[in-house]
Amino acid sequence: MPIDRTTAPSPTAPRPYHFPHITRKTLPNGLRLLIAENHNAPLVSLRALVRSGADHDTEQTAGLASLTADLLDEGAGSRDAIQLAEEVGILGGALGTGADWDASYISLDVLSRNFEPSSAIFGDVTVRPTLPADGLERVRAERLTEILQQRDEPAAIAGKRFANLLYGTGAYGNSVIGNADSVARHTIDDVRRFYKQHYLPNNSAIVVSGDVDSTGALELIERVLGAWEPGPELPRPTVSHRPIDASRIYVIDRPQAVQSEIRVGHIGVARSSEDYFPLSVMNAIFGGVFNSRINLNLRERHGYTYGARSQFAFRRQPGPFVIAAPVRNEVTRESVSEMIAELRRIRTGDIEDGEMDDTKNYLMGVFPATVQTASDIAGRLVDMELYGLPEDYFDRYRETIAAITKDDIARVAQKYLDPDRVLIVIVGNASQIREPLGTLGIPIHDLDIDGNRLVVG
Amino acid sequence: MLALEQYRLDNGLRVVLNEDHSAPLVAINLWYHVGSKNERPGRTGFAHLFEHMLFSGSEHVGNNEHFRHVQSVGGVLNGTTFFDRTNYFETLPSNYLALGLWLESDRLGFFLPALTKEKLDIQREVVKEERRQRYDNVPYGTAFERLLRLAYPADYPYHWPTIGSMEDLGAASLDDIREFFSAWYRPDNCTLTIVGDFSSAEAKTLVEQYFGDLPSGGSFPPFTAQRAPLGYENRETFASHVQLPRLYRLYHLPKMGDPEWIHADLLTTILATDKASRLDRALVHEKQIAQDVATYVLPTEATGMIMLQATAREGVQIEEIEAAIDEEIARLSLDGITEDELTRAKNRAEIEFAHQIETFDARADLLGMMSTYFGDPTMVDRWLDPYRAATSDDLAHVARNFLIPENRVTSLFVPES
Repeated sequence: MPIDRTTAPSPTAPRPYHFPHITRKTLPNGLRLLIAENHNAPLVSLRALVRSGADHDTEQTAGLASLTADLLDEGAGSRDAIQLAEEVGILGGALGTGADWDASYISLDVLSRNFEPSSAIFGDVTVRPTLPADGLERVRAERLTEILQQRDEPAAIAGKRFANLLYGTGAYGNSVIGNADSVARHTIDDVRRFYKQHYLPNNSAIVVSGDVDSTGALELIERVLGAWEPGPELPRPTVSHRPIDASRIYVIDRPQAVQSEIRVGHIGVARSSEDYFPLSVMNAIFGGVFNSRINLNLRERHGYTYGARSQFAFRRQPGPFVIAAPVRNEVTRESVSEMIAELRRIRTGDIEDGEMDDTKNYLMGVFPATVQTASDIAGRLVDMELYGLPEDYFDRYRETIAAITKDDIARVAQKYLDPDRVLIVIVGNASQIREPLGTLGIPIHDLDIDGNRLVVG
Repeated sequence: MLALEQYRLDNGLRVVLNEDHSAPLVAINLWYHVGSKNERPGRTGFAHLFEHMLFSGSEHVGNNEHFRHVQSVGGVLNGTTFFDRTNYFETLPSNYLALGLWLESDRLGFFLPALTKEKLDIQREVVKEERRQRYDNVPYGTAFERLLRLAYPADYPYHWPTIGSMEDLGAASLDDIREFFSAWYRPDNCTLTIVGDFSSAEAKTLVEQYFGDLPSGGSFPPFTAQRAPLGYENRETFASHVQLPRLYRLYHLPKMGDPEWIHADLLTTILATDKASRLDRALVHEKQIAQDVATYVLPTEATGMIMLQATAREGVQIEEIEAAIDEEIARLSLDGITEDELTRAKNRAEIEFAHQIETFDARADLLGMMSTYFGDPTMVDRWLDPYRAATSDDLAHVARNFLIPENRVTSLFVPES
């Protein structure tokens, strides 16, 4: 008998999923260790999380946290940069270092048969980086070049201008890598000071995930990092944003542009917000997934863009809420107008049962697919540490999402979205887009690529 | 060794199964053996536009419903197109295996009845925006396209990139879509791979139910194009809106999987990966004339290629970059490589391969590729063997015979004055 193709087949009984067991320990020096075994592949992910990031940068020192992290692999222990890269390569490893707004990170992914010698290298990079002056000059030149290159990238320009308009020139308002002036100023003493003040065991956590034995891994890490000296922790600086009294459009002219990079948004909330889960569901409905309202509207209904998205940047302190899309020049005004209309619509609480159920089921069901690798799992443990999530967080994830109602969605949309007070940043071809934008009835300001106000005749 | 089962349905559909109960997930992956190399001049971009169309519904699945069905149960999905193939894939909670097979079989067997001009027009606009976003509105966006144009004659099907040209995208008609579908979207041109938490017996029954009655077609249009070596270096300098000069090169190579291709894969690792690699060390670390360098081989079936690029630091002329690269390649050809370098390159190949086996979705994709290009998914168990066996002489041979001027094309992007 032929199969019935007219309706979707029913699922069979679901099979259980369990997040890997986490073994924890805090060493006498304050360093927290988290280990999760996963033997699917002969790989191990090692992570160091240092709970200080670019949020410690000021207008003067913009980029310092990121620069410090970048210099960690310029030499460690008795190895110079090249020797370090060679040793990691011989072990079949990939070493990475970096910083974001919330923290600094060191990662080493290796073949599990080389876990032990790798952990020694990892320890040296974490505790005994040489932070050499010549390395700084080289990395500085690289940074300055990167900053120069971004002047040609419309998405980078739009992101920078939006952040700057929302947060000014302090933390969150700059780029994590800083700006040309600040990067030119950093000295090796600045870098060493940042390292000394923040890379402390009592300000850090180590995560090991993958093809290891928990007990053995714990002992090994303790041996490698147990003697790391603690120190006083610095208070976390407060990030402030500029209130928006009314919506404004900021146009940054890019005469050769064939698309407009649009950013529409305002302040969001911190990761610790009690509304984190309802906001996540609301954003998924609004613009967080392919079948969200924003993407279905701009891409699938109108064909204005290859993709439109919205995001709450959940950081230690309130990050931005942003809708982003590149659209062709001719439909710039229409796209902005649709974005604002969608903001108004979701605030009415008019949410269909289907989209509510689909979105919740997506968020609940997709979790196992996002934690298949040792590296994925390590990333989740790092999040857990960084944001102080409870130990049963991943086990309770499903029920927390399941409990969210349409009323919750309406409530958080009304509380956290404000269609009448948005920053609208557009990097595009001003001669083609400016006049149509004028009909939106929102004041337009012209900025140059560095954010200076222009007077357009 | 992966626990693999492979068989064919009567209609020619190749099926690859790999049971793995380590997570309650199932990855479904279809490789259709059609890509932009099966297009013709004047209709470029078609295979990729087509990939978009296959998400716009079929007889029993409404427009955008494909995405909705998968996402609403916690699945993830996508499709990609390249010169030689198009793939479609979803990873689902394992109790939804039947849902995935229903969706995939519906668009393979029942796509044309749901095709409309309106859907085509929308997706055509979306793809044009994709082209603008990824090629036309970003610095260096057209570099790959320019290299292909230099490297292959106009009638060789690697002459154009998968995205196609704006003009051809505009010209695509409903009849073109129907014709393309009928020619290529058939069970006998497809490998269906399933990896994950299922029982083999259950999967076989479902595959037969959903795919068994789909008809195969007649013979395929043959691929006969042959690349004739140019015998000289085709070069251009292209002034565009960029801050820094950048060199782009393409070296011709035998096709993916051939010994020289594998040796070139290792050789590109030795040339540019980390600070200790040749070009990184010389250009970025020591001379500090380049911002970045990258080189890699492309996974192509008709003929192979090595890509190489390097960005000049501010104030450095592109000629200096090019001379430094050629100096390093000459050194490599003359002196060969060290055992240490070879070991590091082999280790990297091993770890990259381990990452591809690690997830159900990447593993399914790899099996689909092995099956499509080499007719044998069990090749996955032997894939690293030639990497492990490679010698420094093998790599030096590739450097001497392929990394030479008459075997390459070069496009120099420089800032407009």
